[in-house]
Amino acid sequence: MITLNQNNGMVGEGVDFERIRRITGYLVGTIDRFNDAKRAEEGDRVKHGLSQN
Amino acid sequence: MATQIKKRNGVVVPFDAQKIRNAVFKANTAVTEEKMTGAALDRLTDKVSRAFPDPVVPTVEEVQDKVEEKLIEAGFAKTAKAYILYRAEHAKIRQAEGDLMDIYKELTFEDARDADIKRENANIDTDTAMGTMLKYGSEGSKYFINNYVLPKDYAAAHIHGDIHIHDEDFYMLTETCCQIDLIKLFHNGFCTGHGFLREPNDIRSYAALACIAIQANQNEMHGGQSIPNFDYSLAPGVAKTFRKAYFRELAKYLHITKAMNMDDAKALAAAVKAGIEWDITLGNAPEYGEALAAFLPEHQRVNGYEEITEPEARRAHEYAVEAATNSTNDATYQAMEALIHNLNTMHSRAGAQVPFSSLNYGTDTSPEARMVMKNLLLATERGLGDGETPIFPVQIFKVKEGVNYNEGDPNYDLFKLSCRVSAKRLFPNFSFIDAPFNLQYYKEGDYDTEVSYMGCRTRVMGNVHDRSRETTCGRGNLSFTSINLPRIGIEAKGDIKRFYELLDKRIDLVIGQLLHRFQIQCGKKVRNYPFLMGQGVWIDSDNLGPDDSIAEVLKHGTLSIGFIGLAETLKALVGKHHGESEESQKLGLEIITYMRKRMDDESQKRGLNFTLLATPAEGLSGRFVRIDQKKYGKIPGVTDREYYTNSFHVPVYYPISAYKKIQLEAPYHAMTNAGHISYVELDGDTAKNLEAFESIVRCMKEAGIGYGSVNHPVDRDPVCGYTGVIDEVCPRCGRHAGEPVSKERLDELRKKYPGVPHYECCYGK
Repeated sequence: MITLNQNNGMVGEGVDFERIRRITGYLVGTIDRFNDAKRAEEGDRVKHGLSQN
Repeated sequence: MATQIKKRNGVVVPFDAQKIRNAVFKANTAVTEEKMTGAALDRLTDKVSRAFPDPVVPTVEEVQDKVEEKLIEAGFAKTAKAYILYRAEHAKIRQAEGDLMDIYKELTFEDARDADIKRENANIDTDTAMGTMLKYGSEGSKYFINNYVLPKDYAAAHIHGDIHIHDEDFYMLTETCCQIDLIKLFHNGFCTGHGFLREPNDIRSYAALACIAIQANQNEMHGGQSIPNFDYSLAPGVAKTFRKAYFRELAKYLHITKAMNMDDAKALAAAVKAGIEWDITLGNAPEYGEALAAFLPEHQRVNGYEEITEPEARRAHEYAVEAATNSTNDATYQAMEALIHNLNTMHSRAGAQVPFSSLNYGTDTSPEARMVMKNLLLATERGLGDGETPIFPVQIFKVKEGVNYNEGDPNYDLFKLSCRVSAKRLFPNFSFIDAPFNLQYYKEGDYDTEVSYMGCRTRVMGNVHDRSRETTCGRGNLSFTSINLPRIGIEAKGDIKRFYELLDKRIDLVIGQLLHRFQIQCGKKVRNYPFLMGQGVWIDSDNLGPDDSIAEVLKHGTLSIGFIGLAETLKALVGKHHGESEESQKLGLEIITYMRKRMDDESQKRGLNFTLLATPAEGLSGRFVRIDQKKYGKIPGVTDREYYTNSFHVPVYYPISAYKKIQLEAPYHAMTNAGHISYVELDGDTAKNLEAFESIVRCMKEAGIGYGSVNHPVDRDPVCGYTGVIDEVCPRCGRHAGEPVSKERLDELRKKYPGVPHYECCYGK
């Protein structure tokens, strides 16, 4: 829930970004919910280029 | 020579070699075929003691590992096995003293962010009451199964990490998953156990009932629920909605243009419906228009009603078709939007999880099915209420040449749209009916012969129990158990022959365990599964009564052996994984081909469907490696990370092109008949390039991949609603994670962008 703080007119203090990733074929709302091993795996992932080799 | 030992409670005490000798002696006396002499016992005790030279203080577990190792080295394999069982027995007793209660304490008093056990499965929120209750049940059940149900050698293999029995908490209860044929289920209505539902008559009720069917079945099984034919299943709902809308619009047109009162207009539309003997559909509207042009003027004349000319009848038809098509399309979009919302919010399993839903579609070329697919994709692209990416359902677009793969194929536009949506929302994934191992079952126009994938990757197609039923609907996996392949790689110490010997033993063990579980499953009756079996969802269960055994119909399901960490296995065996060396790839294929052959042989022997699975390891990826690190230390490239690599994947950390990765992984898809998936990771910009995206999918198809998907980062800022790649700073509102944005700035952004979320008022003051 995103809330307005009336003291300073600011919105969303303390709210993190959501990072949606596929773990084992399905998606998870945000990587906070990953277990430690899958978090480590996600951190290690490298992007694949489009060259032919 | 060790002088001290660290007990399990952390206390260091003097090392007593006599205790080792006693334990080995006890194990040896339990074995009839091997007799150790007193001298042999002394030698072994000495070897173990010397393995920990002062000042090393070994733990009890390390000493016991060493005993196992030295026994095997000295050729006392049977004694070693007895010793392992002895350890397992003692592990049980220790558990009884408090482990379960320790777990309960952790579940109760720790936050999920601090306790890995509470995040074992990412889609259960264990910070909630029902999520915690589910975990209490699950952990208590596992404890019971390990200590009181499983034969000792299976329990020991599971506890020590040789194998992993998946969904062990459900061991005494049910099966994994099922592919639900909604067409069959909806016919004449169905019962959820809490009330009877009539056959639906509108696309909105079709979609609502689809969710209810998934939810009802999910509450009776521990794995995912799949609709293998979502397009075929929902198309009749569109047809019914269109038909109703057509006659409604026809009446409206007559009411306005002929100044008929509404009741008369409705009665006339009903007369048309009754008078023309066939039904109008989206596909046959022009022919129906002809029929109407002939029928309506004649009907008016014969009955002496107000004249309607042929051109008037044609105009009425054209209007009714256009208006009905529009309203049906709108209704279908709303139905698909509601379905996605429902599948992300409706709870199952004690309220802790949403159903694990999968929808397969892509091959029905009827206009009704195309309308379903188009709108499902568009609703997915739009996202949930505030533009969030929907987590469920897993969507799988079935790619098929001649149907949707090439320019000119009737559903090619939907394939393109699938690529566009997947490039934004990560779904749909793509399955490939043309892969030879899928194509062999395919019969054109029969959805029951089109391969379907469930959730993570599960695939059920071949059927040795009944060769005439190699079909999709009503079937699923019964249970699966995975082998810790890297451990066998480590223990073989580079000796391939030894590797296969150990692998054979492990496979034998798992086959025994799967059959043990199967016997328990066969002991159940239809009344244990009021929906799955009682409503005829499972194949052939519609012929059974409430007290009938389900043993026979379960034989259509699969018993699967899975594996994890082929890459680490190859590293342990030959020093390189299959991404690094052609030789390793060759060996990797040999190993997996061999495992598949063992499954095929067992299937032939028993008439049951033993299949090989590329395990979707979520909890397991960390569990095996944690145990192996303790046992073998950190072996570079093998046990030195926090996870074992997913099934046959090239390791995620290894730099490789998408093309090469696909080529390397494709042959394993043909071997893993219980399911498989390959991923390609793209950066955000490449994923946005639809040509590049499509070229990856096409590359998968041409390489013989069965099921694949493209991963790319999808980030979202819940404050301003931006969806895309966010590195450190949100490109829309400019905040870092945790930083607030001023109310004025947000209101300004709301004028520029649709979907900026509304904030709640208020706190402070």
